[in-house]
Amino acid sequence: MVDADFKIILYSAMINTNTDMTSLIVDNVSKSFNSFQAVDRISFSIENNRLFGLLGPNGAGKTTTMRMIMNIIVPDSGTIKILGQLFHEKLKNRIGYLPEERGLYPKMKLLAHLQFLGEMKSMSSAVAKKTASEWLERFELESWADKRIHSLSKGMQQKVQFIGAIIHSPDLLIVDEPFSGLDPINTKFLKDILLAMKKQGKAILLSTHLMDQAEKLCDGICLIDKGRVVVQGDIADIKKKYSRNSILLEYHGDAEFIKKLPYVQSLNDYGNYMEIRLQDQADPRQLFGALAESGLPVKKFEISETSLNEIFIDLVGGDGK
Amino acid sequence: MNKILKIIKREFLTKVFTRGFLIATVLGPIFIIAIMLAPAYFMTVTGKQPLTIGVVDYAQIVQEQLAAAFNDTLKNGTLRLNFAPLSTEDYTHQPDKYKAQVDEGALNAILIIPANVLDSARVTYIGKTVSDLDLMQRLKTGITGILNNERLRRAGLDPVRVKELTGSVKINSMKIEKGEAKARGFDEEYLSALVFLFILYMTIIVYGSSIMRSVIEEKTSRIVEVLLSSTNSFQLMMGKLLGVGAVGLVQYIIWAAMAGAAILAATSSMPGISDAVQFSPSILLYFILFFVIGYFTFSTLYTAVGAMCSDMQDAQTLSTPVTLFIVLPFMISFTVIRDPTTDLAQILSFLPFFTPLIMFVRILIVQPPAWEILTSVLINLLTIVIIIWLAARIYRVGILMYGKRPTLPEMIKWIRYK
Repeated sequence: MVDADFKIILYSAMINTNTDMTSLIVDNVSKSFNSFQAVDRISFSIENNRLFGLLGPNGAGKTTTMRMIMNIIVPDSGTIKILGQLFHEKLKNRIGYLPEERGLYPKMKLLAHLQFLGEMKSMSSAVAKKTASEWLERFELESWADKRIHSLSKGMQQKVQFIGAIIHSPDLLIVDEPFSGLDPINTKFLKDILLAMKKQGKAILLSTHLMDQAEKLCDGICLIDKGRVVVQGDIADIKKKYSRNSILLEYHGDAEFIKKLPYVQSLNDYGNYMEIRLQDQADPRQLFGALAESGLPVKKFEISETSLNEIFIDLVGGDGK
Repeated sequence: MNKILKIIKREFLTKVFTRGFLIATVLGPIFIIAIMLAPAYFMTVTGKQPLTIGVVDYAQIVQEQLAAAFNDTLKNGTLRLNFAPLSTEDYTHQPDKYKAQVDEGALNAILIIPANVLDSARVTYIGKTVSDLDLMQRLKTGITGILNNERLRRAGLDPVRVKELTGSVKINSMKIEKGEAKARGFDEEYLSALVFLFILYMTIIVYGSSIMRSVIEEKTSRIVEVLLSSTNSFQLMMGKLLGVGAVGLVQYIIWAAMAGAAILAATSSMPGISDAVQFSPSILLYFILFFVIGYFTFSTLYTAVGAMCSDMQDAQTLSTPVTLFIVLPFMISFTVIRDPTTDLAQILSFLPFFTPLIMFVRILIVQPPAWEILTSVLINLLTIVIIIWLAARIYRVGILMYGKRPTLPEMIKWIRYK
């Protein structure tokens, strides 16, 4: 999924960012359900032309935050400004929203369904129909236009759901766990649209619990856990700030002994892949020597930047070791 | 507002252009009439034999007019009701002798008309069986007609002239002639009321549970949150209610047109049958009106139930109380058909949940004063507004909740969420 072109696009887009318009401001927003504090004084903002990630483990409060932005849930306190305005019903026409659990009417025909979703964003029937047809053509679904949704494959339905969220060309796009359950082809499809939209100057808020995905895709992030902001800012800044002395190791066999090395601070073992963090003063060559000595079959040894995932685990005190 | 229209349009189009709608619209009434007709026909064919009723007329008004008032005949052409005048003097002294005759079967019944009948408006019927409600109703209307005519005469009015001038009296006279018009003898007034009632009851339940299913489907297919990104829960709920309601309205209008056409065809091909047809076009309008009231009352409740549940099993359990509120009036309406003038019938016809069926039955059988109809409609409209308000608050929270259905305290909390 690492994609060289993509990074170029990403960086060029960042350079081209020349507007200071803020598409979304979430200011000190809280929400509790009964005694459960789902979101606790969260603040972040997104400029247009940016792809912003709302990160956190499951249950961190991502979906609740997004629902509050959409005014589906009303915050207990705090303010949310969308495109410079406090929420009002008409703003919904300028926002695209793809909830985590997204659905379609199974018995409706594809084109009619997309047209309906467009109309619900106050597009005229004719424009909605025309735009829907164009999208179907772009994604080679035009031969399915008169088929009912339930006869479409899962992958096609996912495409249709996404088209439904952006058919009205929203200024702010909010997508909740957009990549969950997608196959690699649809993942690329979606990623390409997100980047294309960013290039058009739209602001995009996406939530994910997959840190590596966010790391590759987002310009800025807000990392939340248990309803609270853990860290936020530009990805590059965060990584600079929290960067650790880290090694990526690909190996076969038993690597238990690494845990016991005195200069290893923590590690995250995936079985045949390991993220190792050395103590700040340690030299990676020490580890390299130790590995050579042990005779462990090593396929790859890489001195790496600390991944967002590691930073997250560091910050929230997860089970790193 | 525009978005409500879009939702209405979607609901309407996806429901009207289906085979199910076509079949229900065309075959529904035929099916119901067939179901109704069979037992009614069976009941009337076996149940009617000529009866001899002894008449003790202290008032000396009624007796000589009875024969003219009850001139309906049986299949073989003989009179169904034969009235035998009894001496008031004999009866006063030896009532037991006549009662014994009833017991032995020489007389089927004795009808006692008190001297003050014009004021008291009460007569006494002594028979071996008093459960023939059809006969009771017949006697009641027949004697009422006779007494009314007498009162008119005493007030210096010519009953014939009054009959000419007033619609309701004209309908009374039709009723009396009805016996001739339908020689086979089944009670069309009762039957047509039942058909209407059944259709009303069935459609309210069918539309209510269909809207409940559709709310649950939107929840389980998870389309609802997508829609909420374009509109709000109130618009969503109202769009659905109005859209499905429009489907029902179209169905009712088609049915009313079918009924109208059938009456027209019947009257033009068979003159005289119009007397047998008990309802005027205004009944068809009431039919539609009370469907609309019943629809909004119950469908809104079903919508709230649907929003609270995550699957149909849950919904079936939770919708039982709602269904009960439609079954109960339906049950009661059978007794109301037989006698719509009781206090119970009158009170119930104003009560929300009961009005659509009970008031409709009253209108079918005895035209209640306009103010009563208007009041009941207003009470119900107010109730609908309250129900919609409550349902909207439950719906708003419920459509995003999955899993366990809420307890009553939770539901109250939902309603009170800001």
